[in-house]
Amino acid sequence: MDIFRTLVSVISALAIPALMLFFLVYGAFKKVKVYEVAVEGAKEGFQIAVRIIPYLVLMLVSIAIFRASGAMDVFITLVRPVTDFVGIPAEALPMAIMRPLSGSGSLGIMTETMQAYGTDGFIGVLVSTLYGSTETTFYVLAVYFGAVGIRNTRHALPTGLLADFIAFLAAVFFVGLVL
Amino acid sequence: MLNHIWLALIVIGILTAAGRDVYDVTQNSFGNGIPWEVRLEGPDGEVTGAGQGTAVQATLHVSVAQLRAHFSTDAISTDAALPARVTFRDDGSASAQIDVRGTEAERFTVMAEALGGGETLAANLRRAGAGWEMRIDDVSLVYLRKVTNAAFEIAGLAVEIALGLIGIMALWLGVMKVAEEAGLITHLARLVRPITVRLFPDVPAEHPAVGSMIMNISANMLGLGNAATPFGLKAMEELEKLNPKSGVATDAMVTFLALNTSCVTLIPATAIAVRAAAGSSDPAFIIGTSFLASLTATIFAVTIAKLLSRVKMFRFDRAEAN
Repeated sequence: MDIFRTLVSVISALAIPALMLFFLVYGAFKKVKVYEVAVEGAKEGFQIAVRIIPYLVLMLVSIAIFRASGAMDVFITLVRPVTDFVGIPAEALPMAIMRPLSGSGSLGIMTETMQAYGTDGFIGVLVSTLYGSTETTFYVLAVYFGAVGIRNTRHALPTGLLADFIAFLAAVFFVGLVL
Repeated sequence: MLNHIWLALIVIGILTAAGRDVYDVTQNSFGNGIPWEVRLEGPDGEVTGAGQGTAVQATLHVSVAQLRAHFSTDAISTDAALPARVTFRDDGSASAQIDVRGTEAERFTVMAEALGGGETLAANLRRAGAGWEMRIDDVSLVYLRKVTNAAFEIAGLAVEIALGLIGIMALWLGVMKVAEEAGLITHLARLVRPITVRLFPDVPAEHPAVGSMIMNISANMLGLGNAATPFGLKAMEELEKLNPKSGVATDAMVTFLALNTSCVTLIPATAIAVRAAAGSSDPAFIIGTSFLASLTATIFAVTIAKLLSRVKMFRFDRAEAN
């Protein structure tokens, strides 16, 4: 396990410099005018970032209103009977609901939950597994679709939310298996 | 679908806030207008104000009975003791700056925030009997104000987030462009061809979109969030070039985002860091569980994306850019 952990830290430290080195040196080897071409590519970065602003503002504001109102507590009370029946621990519910909505919100909830229930018990491992295994679906959709001006997102949101729900169930199952 | 959920978040948020505020007003949950009976204890015992200079650091004691009566709840079971800076006036009255950090009576924290004091609650004190009579300004419509503040604050923050992406986007899209011109992205696409032709039947196997998607998903797997976003947005741009209906998501885009949001995680870097900071004896323990949970979710996500794309209300040929 220690070797594995060292490997993990080496990979995460090395990945980006190695990738950058490889891409640029390979480009130079293939006679690409690296600096000139890189500048061309970099120009797009600005346009994309500006293009996502309206999408991101509206998406984050609606989530912020939901969070600030404390509606999540009400929502949890409503879904409690169902989740209790399925055997999902109530302590992890705030995390499961916040995870697709807000990255910073779920980071806060993960920290608070681990402070309250410990890091290495069932609840602590479950919430950190949840945080580690899923993405902030609403943010990703707003940014990625915003970058190309997609307004009709079709089945993207139901797919993302169903996948988050399945990730939650899978996390409960696998954490239960190892603990 | 996104339209409805977006609207629902706002409507539910505002109505909940309004509902809570109305409830608080009818219950008088903050004890507006009712004077508090409190005790003050200084470093030299009971604080009475006489002959104790102009200011003293004291502890404000509030009994359970007082808390219950003011906050209209039976859920409180312990007395509150809060640090307070007390300043005496010439007429024998005093003002107090009460530090509400770490108090178990959460309503005090809410009140301090609502009255604009941050973590300190301002109060006026008057000598009454053996103790003090404390008055705090009225607090009302807490949640509606919170909602308003949050909306304005996050609107600014969203712009900051987007602008903050500029640098990292420029860097990676620059490097990416070099790789593209050198033919590396096409090589990469050719390498994973057997998988991608099945996942993205509408995307030509050696299209630059495939290379960018692979880069995005690999970066995500390694927990390199900063590098993943530029690759992902580049992939979306390439996919948009293949889109016959501008403004409508294609099947390939939805499948790609299903892969992205449920992404198989090899190294959940942030979660491990938080666990280590919280004092876990084995922070990396969740690598295995995260991997299995995200693998399961990814398999389901792709399947769900494929299935839903055939459902009548989501079909591409019926969708409009509205």
